[in-house]
Order: sequence, then structure tokens, then C-alpha cells
Amino acid sequence: MQRREYLKTIGAGAAVVGLAGCTGNGDGGSGDGGDGGDGGDTTTESGDGGDGGDTTTESGGDSQYGLENGVVTIGSDIPYRPFEYRTESGDLTGFDVGIAEAVFVEEMGLEYEFQKNAFDTIIPSLNNGNFRVIMSAMTINDQRAEKVDFSDPYFTAYQTVIVRTDSDISSQEDLRGVSVGVQRGTTGEAATEGLKEEFGGDLEIQSYDQITGAFDALLNGQVDAVINDNTVNAAFANQQDNVEFVEGEGAAAEQGENAPPYLTLTVENYGIAFRQDDDEFRQAVNEALAAVRESGRYDEIYGEFFEG
Amino acid sequence: MSDAYEGTTEDTTAGTRGLADDTVVRRIGELATGLFAMAVLGFLGWILVTQVDYGLLVSVFDRFVEAFGLVLFIVIVSSVLSVSLGTLMGLARISASPLTSRIAKGYVEFFRGTPLLFQLFVIFLGIPRAWPYGAFPVEDWRVPAAVLGLTLNHIAYVAEATRGGVNAVGDGQLEAARSLGMSRVQAMRKVVLPQAWRNALPAIGNDQIILVKDTSLLTVIAVPELLSVFRNINSNQFDPWTPLVWVCLFYLAMTVSLSLIVSLLERRADWEIDDDQGAWLGRLLGSFSSLGGRR
Repeated sequence: MQRREYLKTIGAGAAVVGLAGCTGNGDGGSGDGGDGGDGGDTTTESGDGGDGGDTTTESGGDSQYGLENGVVTIGSDIPYRPFEYRTESGDLTGFDVGIAEAVFVEEMGLEYEFQKNAFDTIIPSLNNGNFRVIMSAMTINDQRAEKVDFSDPYFTAYQTVIVRTDSDISSQEDLRGVSVGVQRGTTGEAATEGLKEEFGGDLEIQSYDQITGAFDALLNGQVDAVINDNTVNAAFANQQDNVEFVEGEGAAAEQGENAPPYLTLTVENYGIAFRQDDDEFRQAVNEALAAVRESGRYDEIYGEFFEG
Repeated sequence: MSDAYEGTTEDTTAGTRGLADDTVVRRIGELATGLFAMAVLGFLGWILVTQVDYGLLVSVFDRFVEAFGLVLFIVIVSSVLSVSLGTLMGLARISASPLTSRIAKGYVEFFRGTPLLFQLFVIFLGIPRAWPYGAFPVEDWRVPAAVLGLTLNHIAYVAEATRGGVNAVGDGQLEAARSLGMSRVQAMRKVVLPQAWRNALPAIGNDQIILVKDTSLLTVIAVPELLSVFRNINSNQFDPWTPLVWVCLFYLAMTVSLSLIVSLLERRADWEIDDDQGAWLGRLLGSFSSLGGRR
């Protein structure tokens, strides 16, 4: 029952991104996003061979945009369901993976490879040259924009609060004095720190390495709430019967956005991050991103991960 | 001492030994270590001048002090527990009873044979989930889980150090004590263990220093320890070096003072091997006050 509400809400999020009629039903057409790999413990997974055979695997020596063998290396903090995670058989999948497939393989004729990197060090890692871009459900903000350049936004998200169903917390004010689990280095952590300041320090923040750690802590009763992106929280709340959103209006309603029914602390846009000297490649990716939207491919991928 | 030795060497072999000449070897050693020290100091100086933001260094100090207090608490509790229980486990390990010694061996093999990180996840995530009586009763399980994990893990290492210490005491000691009519327990307590304690001290001290550094792993179970504060500052300010300075200084503050305590204990153990074991703490405190005079 509630599950349906969340899904509807996520649909509303897409409207904000500027899409009409995202009713794509995620039928097999785009289902093979990151199937190429061999699973196991490997942290990289190359994706070639799209869905329609329209991709060419030209691994010629011509180094487009200075890429080695035409492979775009992508830094990402895996797992962050439903943006990047592994299926039970170990295949990498998720919304970011689908977008990477559409943009790099289908539009640009390149290949891609995901590299796992902890989120709190992912920007220095990009600037140190460990990979070419970041696709890790990364929110565009001023602080980060000083260190990297972002693509056009490709997703809109909200910071939201989830709690156990037996919890007394039903509004933002109820968070005063409780302990909140977040992922280290995320905008969820930043939003929670803002909240702590607002409460005059009367809030305990537990920063976990990965969001799954915060979710575990919520289930184990170690934290009273988790503050994180709406889509990721929704994927978890849908999976767990004893977890639900805190409802209410918030930042989205204030900004006149198409507000979801749950409490929103902030409104954020995700972007692909590039090094600051990478303008030519960034521009090309922006064009490809626009093409993916126009062709309806974006809706298909969206439907696969948020309405399936 | 070395002067006299060099004198005789020069008399007999001057100019004929080349690289093997004592003085040459000594000078080469000094040159190499001197260059190394200069390179390290130069690097550190360069970092401190070019990379460290001193405004930020001051403003984050309080957060590190807070984390340091917590780490110190965890270290002290885990250290006391792991040394005392680890000594007992070591004695169980060398017990004449095969049941006792095999169980102790199994314990050591498990806790030494699996990573501390694994053990922390088992304790922090696993135990609350498997709790059979409804909701897990401990509201904030992070620090208790940390102490439990560090203690269980280091009991295994202290036990091995204790076993090594006892084994290093010659068989003749026990045999002689037994032949004087002491029971096995008496002989162990009065003759073997005082010597074993001295043998095991360096290894136990080494392990406790590792325990201090192992607290850095607690960042994965959301304990707000030193590296956790560093990671938070770095992910917000994108400045690694400034918070790293504090991380380095606070860890060294703990490990250097710990190794000082260990070397004090070693010195006491050297002087008064066969003394009553119960009074060593009082003498340790005495040695702190006389430390200034001796240096």
C-alpha cells in the first residue's frame, strides 16, 4: 500500500527533471545493462555490446578524447541501490549503469568500465587520475563544483528520513535528540549536520562507510532514523516491511516542486563529475545525455529501475 | 670503546680493506641515514609549509580531542582486559590438561586467524540481528562492540606471547623447583612465571601498540574515532593534509607513551626478577618520579 505511494512519488521526481510521460515499462529491451562481467570479487566490469546490436566494438588505437582503447573508466561507490549495485549473481546494474550504457556505448560508441571507490574520497580520486568520470548518484553542489565540473543534471533527488514503523518520529521536529545514521561524505550527512546545528547540537550522527551500514543499524535498533536520498531510501523501505518514510512537507514543497508525500529536507540534482580540464569530453557527454533523453531511452532506463 | 678498536684496525689493515674498513662502513652508514633523515624532514617541512591550512588546523582541534578521549577510553579498557585475560588464556594454552590446552589453541587459531574487521562486523552487525529475545537491549552498541572485538582479538595475541615467554624458560627451572618439593602450580608461580613475564613483556607491549592502531578500524562501525574525524573533514573541505597532522600526532601520543611504559616495565623486570609480583605497580609509579633524575 505504502509501496505504491513511494513509486508514484518517484515518478513525480522525473517530471521535475523535465520529462513527460515516463511510463516506460522496463521490458527486456534495456535489461542487459552491465551483464558483460564475470562477477566475483572483481571491482571493474566492462560493458560492451548494447541491446540492439547497434553498437560497434571499435577498440582501435585512435584515442578519442584521450581514452585508452575507447574505454571510459567510471568511479562509483558500489553498492548504492538502485543506482549501482550487484545482482545476486554478481552482475553490476542500476540506474547509473543504465545511463552509462546509453550515453557511452549507444550514443558515443565507446566502452565503459566501473571502478569501485569509497564515496568520501571519490573526488580526490578522480582528480588523481584513477578514473575519467564519477557516476555515483552524486549531487551537484557548490563545494564539489570547486573541485570538479559537472555534466547537466540527469536526476533529481530529495534528502528524506526513514524510520522503523514502530517509531514515534513523525515530523522533522521529532528528530531532536535522536541518533541518525548516514553515509560518510554524502549530502545526506551534510543535511543531517545542518539539522544538528538547527537543533543546537541535540542530535547524534552515526556516519557509516556505506549506506547499507546505516540501514543495518536502523534494523538493529542502533539508530532511530536514516537520512539519505529518496530513491535509495525508497528501494530499502519497499524491501523492508518494518521501515517507512517520515511524512510531511518540506524543502520540495517550499520550492514549489512537485512535492512527494514524504518529508523532504533538501532538493538536489545529480550530475556526472569530470576533471576541470576535461571540457571537450564533458560537452560531448552533455550532448549524448540530451540525445538519450530525446530518444526516450532515458524513460526506458528510468522505468526499469524506479517503476519496475 | 670503539676508539681503541679502530686504533688497532688501522694499524694492521690501513688502506688494504677498502669497503670492509670499520671506519668506512661507519661513515657510509652515517651518510645513508643522514641523507634519509634529511629527505624525510625536508618532505615534512615542505608539507607543513605548503599543504597545511593552519586556520583549519586550529578550528578542528576540539573535534580531534573529543575523538582522542573516546579512543583512549577504548584502548585502556581493551588493553587491561586483553592483557589480563590473555595471560590466563596463555596459561590455559600450556596447561597439562589436553582439554584445556586444545580449547585455548582453538580460540587462538580462530581469533588470530580471522581479520579483526571480520570480527567487528560479526559483533556489531551480527549479534544484534541474531538476538533471540526481541529487540536488542543495548541502545548504543558501537563502543561496547569495539571493546569486545579488540579484547577478544588481542587476547589471542597476548596468549601466544605468554606461551612463548613460558616456553623460553629452560626446562631445568621447573624440574629443579619440582625436585625441591614444590607442586607444579607452586613451581610455575614462584619460579617459571616471573621469568616468563620478563620474556613475554616485549611481545605483549608490541601487541598493545598494535591494539592502539587497530582502533582505526572502528571507523567502519561508525565509532567517531580519529580517522573517522579525518574522513569527515576531508570529505567536506577536500583538504587531506591538515587533519592528517592531528591524526598522526594523536596516534603517536598514544603509541610512544605506551612504548615508554613498556620499556619501564622491562627495566623493572630486569632488576628484580625473583621479587614478589604483586608489588610491581607500586614500584612502577616510583620509577616515574625518579625518571627525570636518571635521564
